[in-house]
Amino acid sequence: MVLGLLIGIGEGFSPGRTTNVQILWLHLPPSAQFPNGFSLVMGTLVDPLSALVLMVVTVVGFLVLLYSIGYMHQDRGLARYYAELSLFLASMSALVVANNLLEFFLFWELVGVCSYFLIGFYYEKPSAASAAKEAFLVTRVGDVMFLLGIFLYFYLYAAAGPAGLGGWAANGFVFVHNGQPFLAGATSSSTLATVAGLMILGGAAGKSAQFPLHVWLPDAMEGPTTVSALIHAATMVAAGVYLLAVTSVFLGFTSFDQLVIVAIGGFTAFFAATMAVVHPDIKRVIAYSTISQLGYMVLAVGAGFTAVGLYHLFTHAFFKALLFLAAGSVIHAVGTQDLFKMGGLRRSMRLTSVAFAVGGLALAGIPPFAGFWSKDDILASVYSQLGAHPLYWPFFLLAFAAVFLTAYYIFRAWFLAFSGSGPRDPSLPHAHEGPWTMQVPLVVLSVLAAGAGMFAFLPGFANLLERGPGIPPHFGTTEILLSGASLALAVGGIALAWALWGNGRVYALPASSPAQAVRRLLLERYYFKAAYDWIGARGVNTVARAADFFDVYVIDGVVHGFEGAFGGLSDRLRRIQSGVVSDYASYLVAGLIGVFALLLLIAPFLLARVGGG
Amino acid sequence: MSVTDVLATGAEFAPVLIVLGSALLAFLLDVVGVRRLEAVGGVVVAGTGVAFLLVLADLGLGFLGPLRTIPAATVNAVPAAGASPLYAFTSFGLVFQALFLVAAFLVGLASLSRDSHEAGAPIFYGLLGLATVGMLLVAVASDLIFLLLAVEVTSLATYLLVGYTRRGARPLEAAMKFYIIGAASSTLSFFGASLLYGAYGTTNLYRIAAVAGGVGYPVLALLGYGFLIAGLAFKTTLVPFHAWAVDVYDGAPTDVSAFLAGGSKKVGVFAFFLVFLGPVLYVHPGAPGNPFSGGPIALGPIVQLTLAVLAVLTMTVGNVLALLQREMKRLLAYSSISQAGYILLGIAIGTSPALAGATFQALAHVLSKGAAFLVVAGVAGLGVGPLVDDWRGLGSRRPLTCAAFSLLLLSLAGVPLTIGFVSKFVLFSAAVEAQGYFVWLAVAGLLNSALSVFYYARILRAMYFEAPAGGDAGAPPLTSRLAAGGLGYGRAAAIAVATLAVVALGIYPQPVLGPIQAAATHFLGLGA
Repeated sequence: MVLGLLIGIGEGFSPGRTTNVQILWLHLPPSAQFPNGFSLVMGTLVDPLSALVLMVVTVVGFLVLLYSIGYMHQDRGLARYYAELSLFLASMSALVVANNLLEFFLFWELVGVCSYFLIGFYYEKPSAASAAKEAFLVTRVGDVMFLLGIFLYFYLYAAAGPAGLGGWAANGFVFVHNGQPFLAGATSSSTLATVAGLMILGGAAGKSAQFPLHVWLPDAMEGPTTVSALIHAATMVAAGVYLLAVTSVFLGFTSFDQLVIVAIGGFTAFFAATMAVVHPDIKRVIAYSTISQLGYMVLAVGAGFTAVGLYHLFTHAFFKALLFLAAGSVIHAVGTQDLFKMGGLRRSMRLTSVAFAVGGLALAGIPPFAGFWSKDDILASVYSQLGAHPLYWPFFLLAFAAVFLTAYYIFRAWFLAFSGSGPRDPSLPHAHEGPWTMQVPLVVLSVLAAGAGMFAFLPGFANLLERGPGIPPHFGTTEILLSGASLALAVGGIALAWALWGNGRVYALPASSPAQAVRRLLLERYYFKAAYDWIGARGVNTVARAADFFDVYVIDGVVHGFEGAFGGLSDRLRRIQSGVVSDYASYLVAGLIGVFALLLLIAPFLLARVGGG
Repeated sequence: MSVTDVLATGAEFAPVLIVLGSALLAFLLDVVGVRRLEAVGGVVVAGTGVAFLLVLADLGLGFLGPLRTIPAATVNAVPAAGASPLYAFTSFGLVFQALFLVAAFLVGLASLSRDSHEAGAPIFYGLLGLATVGMLLVAVASDLIFLLLAVEVTSLATYLLVGYTRRGARPLEAAMKFYIIGAASSTLSFFGASLLYGAYGTTNLYRIAAVAGGVGYPVLALLGYGFLIAGLAFKTTLVPFHAWAVDVYDGAPTDVSAFLAGGSKKVGVFAFFLVFLGPVLYVHPGAPGNPFSGGPIALGPIVQLTLAVLAVLTMTVGNVLALLQREMKRLLAYSSISQAGYILLGIAIGTSPALAGATFQALAHVLSKGAAFLVVAGVAGLGVGPLVDDWRGLGSRRPLTCAAFSLLLLSLAGVPLTIGFVSKFVLFSAAVEAQGYFVWLAVAGLLNSALSVFYYARILRAMYFEAPAGGDAGAPPLTSRLAAGGLGYGRAAAIAVATLAVVALGIYPQPVLGPIQAAATHFLGLGA
């Protein structure tokens, strides 16, 4: 963590510096396809982009590890837990500082597998095991697309790059050379490049749980809360956004790609927020909120504001980790995740309730908390592009509307858990704060969630975000008006939450209300999961049946036929391997004759027919 | 050139002389009555170790620079016409010297762990050293007769190695078979060489290349090459010249099998390279004066196709027969035969990436198969029977040994993160890049790799997922001495070194692969 911070601070004070260290990993000499040879390298690249994210990973990682000491002390399999968490942190840091696309993918897969392990940490629980599988399979769809994207980019740019270096193929997919993007000026805007960009987007959508691959993240909450905070809020899910950022800086997206990215981001921001509105599970509310916030980041990167997107990634990591850890503190105390069973926890868990409120204010975008600065920066930046790209309008509006929902659902959760006179379910144990190892991270993250947004105005930090316009946030008339509007929406959302749920109230929608249908739709997550299950079950069953047929009749047939054939031949085989030397000598002679036949007759004949090799 | 001349030539033969000296010292110690395994073995192991470092220095490994005995200019230059007609130091030859020394060193080190009162230790180590001397000479040969004599030195020493215990019918039977078939093969090789001499008037490989460019390829030369293929195929265990190998690997003391499979077999491989690639059949396309465009018969493609057929036949037959084996040593022997087929692919393709891939595959095989035989020898010493089924449940009883053995088997199967994967990747990608029917060779190789996974997996399953016959109680008790001392330090060290190398080179191959690629390119360039 200290190292990560130092790298981050060092980068802040040396603007625009990129440090690239690499070793040659595998090299194939020149051939017809690759006249300059083909190389794979492994290296580290520290530039403003990676330094910023590296700071997030190391700081949040350290705090979560500290928190785990208190949170996990009753669990079995701690060695497994810490091993997997450490492997995750190592892979995530390596992903962030990877200096080429293939290395990026390698560690991308590693963090994916760690996520799978950790979601399934309570593997005795069937729901945890199946959530782990679901996460793995859904992100796999994205991973395959990512890999296809790599192949397409490779096909496009194998020979591109600075003169005299022999192209991308000979230099192992690297991002930069001498501080400049390796492919600077060489990127194309052909259809193929568009498709490649969309494939990369697919990979990012899988990892960052964007529509339509969002289904796995809420279920991933089956893992320990610490894991949710670290992997499924602050770091790994942000890797998708980071991938988009890296791609847009070093490879470039075509304008159609950008539109699709903006569409996905804006839509997801709204879409996920709606599902968070009704959910009774405290962790899943936050999970939907994560999807929604990731949507904001994707929106920003898509509209060309990489730095702004990463700025939000930075602030979001802190306040979302804070929310998760505060929720974890609650779960640790009361042993349930059901908001409707909690209540009145404000009295017994003062620190946690304050921390959750700070996180909530940051998430809702109330100044001066962190989320306000970065979220409004996103909205203002995208707004500035609307003139040039009128097609961005609907997605901008969706994202704008999501501000209201965000404020509403997070304070609904806060009021349900913390306000009121006492728990609604009297069987809950008496709540108390966790040990100091759990409290310290809450305090530190609260400070960060409150203040990290204003880091953008520090000179050193602004250097970290220099790769792109929009930093530090600029406040002209338009921006202030926009901020005012979004602030009004956020306050309105909080007010509505207070009116419906504050002070121990429980708002029950009348059973006859037509809104019940909407509520059901939201609770059932727009039936996405059901549909995927159905498609999955049908499709997989068909494939499985075909595979079974193939296995039983074709493979077994071949294997058994083989066995039968060799069983029948076994006598003869035994006679071949007779152990009698004169027999071996006769094979030698037979072999000699065979060689001559090949050399003098067969090979010349074949070569005359088909031409030389 | 007499022996004194060789001695006078001096420093460049230092590795050979050191190994020769240590072998002779081993015999001498026997005569004066020092028969302790540690003393005799230590001499030879140290000799091969020092020789290995010297060879690495000659290859230009940075920090060993001061030990260098051959100037870099000599190693990387085309031998001048006036240079010694018998031998030439090429970087490619030095790579193979290093490879042979690795095999000898590992086997020697492992054998230090045998019963110290076992008779014949000095003979074993002396013969091991002498065989290594022959192998080192093969790697510097540039003349057919020199080459075949060096092969003969190796062969004679290995015949004796197989039967050195002088007890038990099986090793003696194996030695006899080995000797008879080996003698017949030697005859074929020498006859082939004499036919080539008849065709070209020289036995120097570089001159043959020069003369053939002008004279072309008469049928006499074709016959000569045919005999040479047959003779060398015996050493390389190509199907159908392989039948001896299974009986010999099975019957020989297992440490000797490790040396035969891992080490001396590569002599045949290198001889193939030497006779059919570098100086003689320079098949790099587009080189100036490509002899195949002119002569009456285009020999290059014919030999390529012949070797390709042999390669595919070898790997397929080896793998299929390995599938049917129930005895561990015979299974490994057949798998060893199939690996020779992969290596031969590199010669058949004949491009420099393919040659580098084949060499790397040879290195992978030295480490993986050699060490696998060493494990089998050690485990047999623990009282485990010869069948694969006897290994049931061993995974929990000897976890470290079985973990190492699993890694070695995975490397043989070509699973990623082991050296076996990298070598096959380099080799098959070279086949694909060569286009033409070579692509189908890559396909055959891949199918064979898939096939081989079956029998390696069977061993893994026996070790980890099956209970010993009759349950834990029914497991045969491990011999007390070895159960206490494990495999012994020497053997454990040799296996550990090989396994670590297998994994390390699987994760980060470039430091070794790079020099091999450079050497292969240089080697092919010699004939231009």
